[in-house]
Parts: sequence; C-alpha cells; structure tokens
Amino acid sequence: AGAPGAAKTPEPSAGAAPYPDIGELRTLACDALLQESFYQSKQRPFLYRDQDHTPGPFLTQLVSTLAASLSGHNPLLAASSLDLNPEVNYYWHHGEEVVVHGHRKGRVDPVRFQIDDNPHLQIRVPKQLPEVVPLESDLGDVPVIDHKPSKLPLFKKQYENKVFIGSKVADPCCYGHTQFHLLPDRLKRERFIKERLEDQIEVVYRSNGIASLFAWTAAQAMYQGFWNEADVTRPFVSQAVVTDGKYFAFFCYQLNTLALTAETIENNPRKNICWGTDSKPLYDVVEDGHVKGFNDEVLLQLVHFLLNRPKEL
Amino acid sequence: VFPGVRQAQWLTKTKLVEGLPPAVQGITDNPALGLQELEERAKQVVSHARLWDTAEVAPRRERYCPVLFENLIHICRLMSGKYPSLSKRMLARNCRVAATWERESILLQVRGLSGILMNSMTPIPPVASKEEILATKEHVLETFYPIAPTIDLQEVNVYKELNDTGFRDGYPYSHPHTLFFLESANVRTGRFRPEQLRAKMLMFAFGNALAKARALHGNDPKVLEQPVVVQSVGTDGQLFQFMVFQLNTTDLVSNDGVKNLVWIDSDQNLYERAQCVPEVKKGVVTKPAGISGFQPDTFKKFLALYLHGTV
Repeated sequence: AGAPGAAKTPEPSAGAAPYPDIGELRTLACDALLQESFYQSKQRPFLYRDQDHTPGPFLTQLVSTLAASLSGHNPLLAASSLDLNPEVNYYWHHGEEVVVHGHRKGRVDPVRFQIDDNPHLQIRVPKQLPEVVPLESDLGDVPVIDHKPSKLPLFKKQYENKVFIGSKVADPCCYGHTQFHLLPDRLKRERFIKERLEDQIEVVYRSNGIASLFAWTAAQAMYQGFWNEADVTRPFVSQAVVTDGKYFAFFCYQLNTLALTAETIENNPRKNICWGTDSKPLYDVVEDGHVKGFNDEVLLQLVHFLLNRPKEL
Repeated sequence: VFPGVRQAQWLTKTKLVEGLPPAVQGITDNPALGLQELEERAKQVVSHARLWDTAEVAPRRERYCPVLFENLIHICRLMSGKYPSLSKRMLARNCRVAATWERESILLQVRGLSGILMNSMTPIPPVASKEEILATKEHVLETFYPIAPTIDLQEVNVYKELNDTGFRDGYPYSHPHTLFFLESANVRTGRFRPEQLRAKMLMFAFGNALAKARALHGNDPKVLEQPVVVQSVGTDGQLFQFMVFQLNTTDLVSNDGVKNLVWIDSDQNLYERAQCVPEVKKGVVTKPAGISGFQPDTFKKFLALYLHGTV
C-alpha cells in the first residue's frame, strides 16, 4: 500500500483584487485571541481537554470573523457555507492482498481503506477552486510501503464504508474551499519535545494535511460522478490549515486521479499533489491583555487562503 | 405549571409589550438591505441544517438546532462585507453571568451559563422614548396573591452577593447585544416549553443588563439616564421567540416608580415541516422531501435583531 501524494514546498498565493486592510484583520485576530484566552471568565479546563478551552474557540472565532470580513473581497466567501465539526468520509481500494484464513483463504482481495475525519471547521463553496498545476503534471515520485494499512494507526478501525464531504449531494455548496484542523491534546508539541522526538512534530501536521485533503477532494470528485473507472477530467483543489492553536501549517492539495485500484493504477501516470509549509507560530505569548510577538506572515498566509477563488470572480 | 413570563415580569419589575419595537420593525421593512436575495440563502441554510448535514438519513435535534443557529449567524455575519461596522461584534459561548437584586425584601439572583452571547463595541440605543418610560410609572405590576411570586424558584443560601458581567475590564466588546438560547435536547422533556423559554430569556436578558448597568453606573439603585438594552432570541430549531429588553431602572425594591420594558414576539415558525424522506401512501407521494412552509418574516426578524444598533 502506498501514500496517495508527495508533500512539497510552499504553495503559490491566490488572486489579487483591492487588498484588505491588514491592520484591521490583525486587530480582529488579536481580539478573538484575547477574548478566548483573557477577557472571558472561564473555569479551569477539564483534564486533557486543554484544546477545547481556548485554542478550539479561538480558531472558530478567528475563522468566522476573518471569513465574514473578507467576504467583501471574495464573492466566493459570500456564497459559502461554514460547517462546525463536520464529518468527512472516504472509502477506496488500493493494492492487493491475499486472504490469510477462513473459507476464502488464498484468494486475492483489494486492500480497503476508509478515512473518517472530523475537521474543526470547514468552508464549502458552490464553485471549484482553480487548478494549481496542469492535470498531468509529474512533480516527483511516490514512496512505496509494503506492509498492510492496519499496521498504521490511521487505518485500524473500519466500520462503515462511507463517502461524505460534510453535506449531502443536494447541497449546492459541493466543492471544498478550506478546512481547519485542531490537533488534539495528546499530540501537543511539549509532549514531543519531552520525549526528544522534535523531528516528528512536522510529521503530525503533514500527515493530517495529506490524509484529510485527499479524503475531502476525492469525496468531492465522487459527488461529481467520478470514480476509479471514470477518472477525473479536471483537477480538484482544496486547502487546509492544521494548527494546535498557536502554530499554523498550511496545505494545498490537488487531486489529479481517483484511479488507485490494482486494475486501474497500472497505466495511470497521474499523481496527486500536496504542497505544504512547516508550522509557524501566529504569536509568542498572551500577557496581561496584550498579544506579544504577533506574526503578520502567518496571518497573511491565512488571508491569502481565504481569498482564493476562480479567476472569473 | 405557572405562567412563566408573568412571574418573570414581577421578579424583574417589567412591563410587557406584545410584538417587536418599532425600531426593529423598521429594519425589516428597509428595502436597502436586499432582504429578498437573503431569503433564498436562508431557505438553503434551513435545508442544510435539517436535511443535508449528516451522512445518516436525518440529523437529530441536538445536531440540527445548533447547526441552524450557526448557519443563520453566518449569513448575518457575512453582511459585514456590506456594513463594515458589523465586524465590531464578537460571539461568546458558554459565558457566565451573575446579578443580584432585591424585590420587596426578597433577595434574588440570576447566575450561570447564559447561553451564547453576542457582544458589541457600541450599545444598542434605547428603543422606548422618555415619555414611554415615564408612562410606565402608571403601570401596576401583576401580583399573584395568594401565590408567592417566588414559587418554583430554587432557594439557596447566598454568601456572596455577586454582580459579574462574565468578562474582565478592558474588554473592547463590552456591551451585551443579544443572547441566544438553543433548546436542542432530543427528548421533548429535556427542552423548555415556549412559555418557560421566554421566561428564561427574560431573566437572563435582565441579569446581563443589570450586571452591565451596575458596572457602568455603580451599585446604587436609581433610574437610569441611559437605559441598557439587551435582546434575546430563543429557538428549538424551528420555533423562534424574539425579545427586546430595556432596563430603565435599578431601583427594584419597591413596586412603584419607573418600570423596565420588554417587547416579546412569540412562537414564530421559521418553516412548517422538514421532510427528509418523502412520505408515500399506497404508491403515491403524499409529502415530498424538502422544507415546506418557509416563513421569510421570521428570518427577517432574526436578521433585524442582529443588525439592530448598527444599521
């Protein structure tokens, strides 16, 4: 079984129109952060639920106020649908294995994968995002992995085989724009540093970005009628932001092919592509009602993401 | 059990006016807002919340009630593209409020999680004129003799008489604008009935207004020069209750003098029914799938309350 894409360098920025006021947006972001971490009286966070206390609400506030504020600059946002805690599912076959025991022993079966994802927040839109590179581009090789997917923690449990983008097929907002993922407490940076696994920190962000975006774009493609025997005729592009509340990593994914089963992958030269950044902090610390060390670069990248839209708009 | 709103009126020394105040009605009638286009979006948003939001057949109330609220607020928030001053608003979830006051020698308290609160940098201007406020002096509060007005209230020993808005000093969005109450329990007995919901809305709007008035003007009981206005919206995912509360006085001990005012528009349906799967009887579709009986006026009132004070 192989991973469905190859991670690459930072992605190109989006369309230009009259620029929004960065100072205003910075104020909105700081206000959201200060409200959740300082001004609102809250009780102590529950055990191992630190993410629900401040980072979660902050992310929700940040995205909803920024998206609303930028909707004047991006008509796609003005027609968007904002989902809180949606479900995203995708089911596919890739590779083959031999059945080990039972009455079907010895037969060859496709290996089944199911992703069940719960982004913190996602924006769905009625028009597709433009392609980043042409459909047939080849930007590198895909690593090959020989052991079964159930050896990886992601694919152990498979209960129901579902394909879902966050809303049913009847919804006019059937294309994905941006997802926002909040890392859980057990994957906190401090834990990695304590166990001297600093090199694994970026892996968490990247794997989340690739897996979630693949599932989302592939499910969107299925909603449009494509499947592994009728491959996509246009690339499906979506974006994701993975964060732990302070550090943000940005990802952009282009789905070029759904044909991953043993039969269809043989003559399929297309590859799916994911571009991503390393995680960078949005701010240093919140002290006494002030945000110290606010990083405009991260905010700008977020604004670029939200402003992304097809060229005709 | 007991007519909830009438009891709440006595406890908060408030006079009731049926229907929404003219200031809010004016917003719904304003053609410049482009409310016709928004109606389409509102319908879509109801369909999303009630029909499309789950991989299962039908979402449950625990899911569709908050989702409907978030979707409606999203549409309202998107208007800040057109009216930039709307971005001076911030939503706060799970906020706690505490307010204590005395009514005829009974010490009363409102405390706890007051739902979802939208705060604003600027206060809502008073909705009743000075004459209307003075006219409330004539109004006599309804009493419930021989039933004590504190019936069904929880009696507790209060050691600290707290007044807390739920936010620290220096918070830029310091004016409570609108409270949202979502009755999203799946089982009907877990939800407040409309009358009780309206009473809860009144008590918490009063609590927030009182805590804010005390923070602005001190703890001495007096008639307020600048009345504090707080709005409330309650829903179970289909039926909406709209309320505008104006705190005119913090002198609450006696039954005379200026009273507080509340405007209530009750039991407004946003839509008649949401059919996830078409109902088929004897091979004929009797109820097609989809949302039927959508009432745009209810959405207009929701939006008007959101825009009130800014537009």
